Amino acid sequence: MKVIESKGITKNYFRKQVLKELTFSIEENKITGLIGRNGAGKTTLLKIIAGFIRETSGKMNVFSETPFNSLNVSVNSIFVDDQMSFPPALQLGELLNEAARFYPNWDDQLARKLFNYFSFDAKGYHNRLSKGKTSTFNMIIGLASRCPLTIFDEPTTGMDEAVRKDFYRALLKDYIDYPRTIILSSHHLDEIEDLLEDVLLIHNGMILLHMPVSDLKEWAIGVKGASEDVLDFTKEREVLYKNSVGMNTLYVVVKNDFSEEALNKAHQLGLELTPVRSSDLFVYLTTETKGGIDDVFNNN
Amino acid sequence: MSLTTTSLAETVKKQYFYKLKANIDSFSSLVGIQILAILFSLGGISSSGMGGSFVNVNVKYYSPDLVLVFTLIWSFITAVTITTRPYRNHDFSFVTSRLSSSLSNILFLVTASVLGSVTALLSGNLLQMISYLILNEQLYNIGSGAEHMVLGFVVAFLYLMLIGACGYLIGSLIQVSKLFVLLFPILFIGLLFLEGVVTNGFIVSNVYKFYAMESVLFLFVGKTVLTAVALFIAAISILNRLEVRR
Amino acid sequence: MQIAEWIESEILNGHFHSDQKVYSQYQLAEMYTINPATAAKGLNLLVEENILYKKRGLGMFVTGEAREIILNKRKNQTLKHLVQELVLEARRLQISNDDLFAMLREKMAEEGGK
Repeated sequence: MKVIESKGITKNYFRKQVLKELTFSIEENKITGLIGRNGAGKTTLLKIIAGFIRETSGKMNVFSETPFNSLNVSVNSIFVDDQMSFPPALQLGELLNEAARFYPNWDDQLARKLFNYFSFDAKGYHNRLSKGKTSTFNMIIGLASRCPLTIFDEPTTGMDEAVRKDFYRALLKDYIDYPRTIILSSHHLDEIEDLLEDVLLIHNGMILLHMPVSDLKEWAIGVKGASEDVLDFTKEREVLYKNSVGMNTLYVVVKNDFSEEALNKAHQLGLELTPVRSSDLFVYLTTETKGGIDDVFNNN
Repeated sequence: MSLTTTSLAETVKKQYFYKLKANIDSFSSLVGIQILAILFSLGGISSSGMGGSFVNVNVKYYSPDLVLVFTLIWSFITAVTITTRPYRNHDFSFVTSRLSSSLSNILFLVTASVLGSVTALLSGNLLQMISYLILNEQLYNIGSGAEHMVLGFVVAFLYLMLIGACGYLIGSLIQVSKLFVLLFPILFIGLLFLEGVVTNGFIVSNVYKFYAMESVLFLFVGKTVLTAVALFIAAISILNRLEVRR
Repeated sequence: MQIAEWIESEILNGHFHSDQKVYSQYQLAEMYTINPATAAKGLNLLVEENILYKKRGLGMFVTGEAREIILNKRKNQTLKHLVQELVLEARRLQISNDDLFAMLREKMAEEGGK
């Protein structure tokens, strides 16, 4: 079953086009990573899915209905980010009580256990929490609500290393026990890629790739060797990244659609073939110049 | 994970109780503002005196009118406040639609108006008690009894609702465009100005006549309720299109 | 796929015998904090290679010939690859075949003497 179906979603803010004709769908009970650089349009897309904002054109369906003003979507989904705000008059403990009233699947035991594990004070106030603590508290709400569609937008903002690891593990354990559709947005692919089943890569408001993480890991290949050999081997292919190493050595990243034969031949030629880490690939795909930051410093 | 369901009524109910707890501060500000009004009223809101060589009579009127006026202002401010972005975002941190958010806001304003009108009227009694016990004034009560009390409550409540509905609509318009923040005061002052220029009264005095000078209770209730409902519907349809948590 | 390699090593080390049940995708997911789908892909890879077999509703079990298959695979792929690298590197360093053989013999004698 498709939980999210986006058909040609476009969003303009004033004159600027933030999302450009996004068409994709997300299957039920998968963890999908929404990956993009800062300003790629991740948050805008997620807020359309959550029904907070409205698309300029196109059709968004969540649980087969338009999310904007849908109570059904609201009760079955939660959007967690560090901007979540709560009434300053309510204490943290009271906020958990409120969440319990609103979300039918709420697991109060899980919420209280996490609350104590991360040493929150039930009499504390949300607007007095530090950045990392705010994210941690919001994350607890997000996990314990057990919504069939759970959206985490940059959930680890401000969290320290240990808390981030705890969060990823808590998310995975709860997901294994209670499978649900989860979207995790981040600009750190390497940190979350193990958790993900699918990756949706967006850049400048457009979809670059949407595929299982395991495919992404084999999507590109790095070729290193004598410059002329490398250039010969990768000719007629779009070069995603190019870097000169030493005098006559070149490292080039291209899409991996070579035959087994071709790869063997390349190896015989002495070319070094290496898999490309998905987080590196993400950087190559979203960098405007082929040489990355080095191009800024190259004068020729 | 299987989908859960909810209804509009259920969501409105949950949002309503959430708001009662969340906006507890607005009730303490009500108490504060009414105490202030009582203090201002202690001198008597109007007095007249007459005297001869042996007798000197001085009559002071103590009434909760000023308290009611202050409460009306409070009602307006409360209504505008709950339309603002932070309050809306609090709703959307949990389950809601724009409609359930507005309906629970209106229920909250109804509750506020009930509380406001009851306390405003009771403050009249308080005022008389203070003047009798502390200021040692001789007390003559004009217009008392249960019937009078209920009538006063209904009228005060309806005024509070009417002003609350005005505030809610104005607040909603401001959410659509900040230009209204400038526009409304200009409009209001402009109207008052025209009022002085045009001899037979312009809008303000006609509006005042339409509601406040209505002597038939039934008609007064009808006029105020219908107007409040119309204002709320206008506000709901404006807020229904609003993007949240942007 | 690291999960597949890890299970292979566990079989080679004798931690899993033939017809013994291996970890489920969910157990693996928890152990390594990875997505269960990724773990399932690793397991399915081993099923395709006849190292594991499925029992409906019961889980994945080690086949009788698992050890042999893994050993063969590692010989054919891993060792072959290493030899290829060795030969290429020897070329680059302009070491003659005889010298290379001598180095291999020497190393083997060293290891054998232990």
